[in-house]
Amino acid sequence: MVGLLLLTLRELRARKVVVGLFVVATLVWVVLAFALQLDVVDGSLAGARLFGQDAGASETLVLDGDGRPVIDPVTGEPMTEAAPPAFGGSLLESLVFGAQTFVAGAAYWIGILLALFATGGLVASLVERGGVDVLLTKPLSRSKVLAGRLAGVWVVMLALTVYLFGAVWLVMSIKSGIWNPRFLLAIGAVFGMFAVLYGVVALVGVWSGSAPLSLIATLALLFVTLVLAIPNLADQVSRVWRPLVVGLYAVLPKFGSVGTSLVPQLATGQPVASLTPLLSSLAFGAVCYAGAFALFSRKDY
Amino acid sequence: MPVTDASAPPPDGAVLRTAGLAKTYGGRTPVEALRPLDLEVGPGETFGLLGPNGAGKTTLVKLLLGLVRPTAGEATLLGRPVSDADARREVGYLPEGHRFPPFLTGRETLDLFARVGGVDADRRARRAPALLDLVRLGGAADRKVGTYSKGMLQRLGIAQALMNRPRLVFLDEPTDGVDPVGRREIRELIETLRDDGVTVFLNSHLLSEVERVCTRVAILKDGALVREGTVDDLTRVGRAWRLLTTPLPPPTAEALGGVVDPDPAPRADGLALAHVVVPDRGALGAVLDRLRADGVDVEAVEPVRQSLEELFVEVVTHDDAPPRPGQRRGLEA
Repeated sequence: MVGLLLLTLRELRARKVVVGLFVVATLVWVVLAFALQLDVVDGSLAGARLFGQDAGASETLVLDGDGRPVIDPVTGEPMTEAAPPAFGGSLLESLVFGAQTFVAGAAYWIGILLALFATGGLVASLVERGGVDVLLTKPLSRSKVLAGRLAGVWVVMLALTVYLFGAVWLVMSIKSGIWNPRFLLAIGAVFGMFAVLYGVVALVGVWSGSAPLSLIATLALLFVTLVLAIPNLADQVSRVWRPLVVGLYAVLPKFGSVGTSLVPQLATGQPVASLTPLLSSLAFGAVCYAGAFALFSRKDY
Repeated sequence: MPVTDASAPPPDGAVLRTAGLAKTYGGRTPVEALRPLDLEVGPGETFGLLGPNGAGKTTLVKLLLGLVRPTAGEATLLGRPVSDADARREVGYLPEGHRFPPFLTGRETLDLFARVGGVDADRRARRAPALLDLVRLGGAADRKVGTYSKGMLQRLGIAQALMNRPRLVFLDEPTDGVDPVGRREIRELIETLRDDGVTVFLNSHLLSEVERVCTRVAILKDGALVREGTVDDLTRVGRAWRLLTTPLPPPTAEALGGVVDPDPAPRADGLALAHVVVPDRGALGAVLDRLRADGVDVEAVEPVRQSLEELFVEVVTHDDAPPRPGQRRGLEA
């Protein structure tokens, strides 16, 4: 299986998009490392500059007697007892958490899509005639063949996520002195949801052998889950459709919920309200992978 | 370098065995791709599988290699059921129309695919350069596969099939896209495999190649085995012999008219050719006795043979043609 893993890694390396994703991840932390300058005095933010320019309006840097910002730098709203800062208790924390939330959100909403595009063809290429024949006639089980391919994709995508989050976390922590290890937990959520969606790619890829179809099916599912995530959708549809909406919401991955709730909560170190959306999504992914393995094991090539 | 490690005897005498092996592809209109087939290939044989397009050849090979699940029957490779992945540990396979990743070099391709097949690092390091040289790709070993010609790809595929020192090799159209020189080299390679005791299962449309290298052939048609036997047996035309004799005296020729057909073309050696068509060997002996009695010296007697191509065309165009002595019909046997 190690051979298959290596073969997959070589194929991913040959795909420039994957290399491009690592380049983008590098650019993100390099920009944070060199373009963002934080002037921290006694644990408080005295100034912030991005590419040499002030990072925020002067009001955002106005602190009260306890070193807390007068204006929330993220929301722009005046801060009161009833409206605490969006992230953390100080302007510095707000800036650090804001940056980390931005990176985590971008990685989730954009990065996962790019990762799917970059790796979506790998399952279809595995089952391509002329290639699958050679692999399946080696003395190893079909499940190992598919597992080797999926493991290769997972390893690379996990490495990419760890690299991006780890580097951003290190840069921001070193620059600010605020170490928020819970930010790293977002790696699990982002990678987990990628893995869930990749389960759909694997299932459709094994079934159809078509890379475009597997990607289209995954994106279509993503769209449906986002629609289902509209608040109170079940109450807004007619009673006839209500069971379908509720049922689909229960069964399908909660891509929207994880992205809007869990990932920001993890990125900012806030308490996690619920892991149910992530866990139910993982269950859906597990079913997809089980289906892909069953189909791959039984299919004639 | 030995191409394979075929010294170990097969566990049960047959390297490959099928019993009632059949495949029907499902769907709205089920297709009976292979009818129940009993087949055995012994160690060291070079077995040729022939048949027109759609005859079931590829299905049979895929069934044997576990790529396709049988509808009925069973098959073993080297004594193990084909459903057991370990049955393929000493099997090499060159699929038709194979595709290797274009971003790998020839050397990397051999190494990675052998690694997938469980070949240890030492053996990979030793065999890859040797096999690349054997298939004349030594000079292109570090070029990307994407830059290879079709013939080079085919030769790389053969090298890949031999990386694990197989005792049984399936070659599916090995000379496809290969130039005449390359074809000859592949033929010589197959002969080397045979000399090393490797069993070769050859699936090819090039009948002349099959005729040259195969010890035994089978012809599939419409999913059924219609002929099986040695090349000699299959290509022998029953009841016809070619005689090389001193010239026949006219009375003798006249007396044997209808049985002996002299060839009127003169020969430089003063001998004469004649064709004899008689019901059996006993009748042939009677003809020879008569010739000798009439003072005719018989220099040579040989059965008239047809080429494998002629036999193939005859079999696939006349499906009711009965098998000749020494031949076996698949379903009836």
